[in-house]
Amino acid sequence: MIAVTGVKGGVGKSTYAVLLARRMKGKVVLCDCDVEAPNLHLLLGVSLRDPVDHMYYEYPEIDESKCLRCGECVKACRKNALFWTPGSVPKLFKEMCIGCGACKLRCPYGAITMKKEAVGDIFVSEVGNITLVTGRSDPRVPETGEMVEQVLEYARNIPHDVLILDTAAGAHCPVVSALREAEEVRVVTEPTPLGYHDLRVALKLLSKLGKRGKVVINKAGIGDEGPIYRIAEEFGAEVIEKVPYSREIIRKYSEGRL
Amino acid sequence: MKVVVTASGPSPDSPVDPRFGRAPYFVLYDDGEYRVVENPASRAWGGAGIQAAQQVVSLGAKVVITGSVGPNAAQALRSAGIQVYMGTGTVREAVERYLRGELRRIL
Repeated sequence: MIAVTGVKGGVGKSTYAVLLARRMKGKVVLCDCDVEAPNLHLLLGVSLRDPVDHMYYEYPEIDESKCLRCGECVKACRKNALFWTPGSVPKLFKEMCIGCGACKLRCPYGAITMKKEAVGDIFVSEVGNITLVTGRSDPRVPETGEMVEQVLEYARNIPHDVLILDTAAGAHCPVVSALREAEEVRVVTEPTPLGYHDLRVALKLLSKLGKRGKVVINKAGIGDEGPIYRIAEEFGAEVIEKVPYSREIIRKYSEGRL
Repeated sequence: MKVVVTASGPSPDSPVDPRFGRAPYFVLYDDGEYRVVENPASRAWGGAGIQAAQQVVSLGAKVVITGSVGPNAAQALRSAGIQVYMGTGTVREAVERYLRGELRRIL
């Protein structure tokens, strides 16, 4: 499993993931783990319709006959998703809830059960030898780390010779979820000050996860690559590839023919 | 009658903070006495309105004076039977106007 990440938005993660998938031999599964804003289908020129499965959240449901109105679940909630007034059954604000289940663990009376609810879709599209698996979350959900794990699980179960996953920008939960199981991580950067900065963030995150990234320089030729080599060396990472800044790539990208 | 006023500073002479959930302080007015408490929800990552409403409930107030409340806070405050009035000026001025019945009720 090869993960493509990079922290910085617009650095070329998706472009590189698609280019990598395109040149791989055998059965390639490409998984779009940016469930809040998936876009690999756009680069490959396919549209998402007819979901094959869903991604789920588990929401607490309080059994009023078992609830003793103690308020312990409200104190356990780190997301302020539960509200109560003494003497009443706590009320759930669903759009705040991330389904972590802390309330259920805390409830001394076993009054809370977790109920599964679909909060996103999984799509599968075939493009040449690539099977694209896309997760797309309901925009109302506050956190998507758990959902990334679900779409990745779906992708992993499709027979393949190589699995490539593309993470969201950033270094937060959904990115961590995508990287955790990856055997190889390629960090895409670009020769700009923001590129240098976010390369460092990405490599720092990887070292916390006990992984060493391989660095890919996108838009090669537009700036000084010296700092990229210095940062990579600092983290014991190797620069393995450069993608030139090319009009042709940009044109194909914009036309969905990458 | 306990009244909570959202405040931008830690005093009854501080201005009323127009935000409910994100106001740094709550001034509790109780029978002529003012007491300032911090609003921990002002630093919450999310759900500040709900957490702030929870704090109003635990302070035992039945009336809130602020600028405006968001949809989640409104739902929480309504379910707790708390009345919300719109106030401006300093906390003290807003309370005095409330006591004279001059503030507009928004919830």
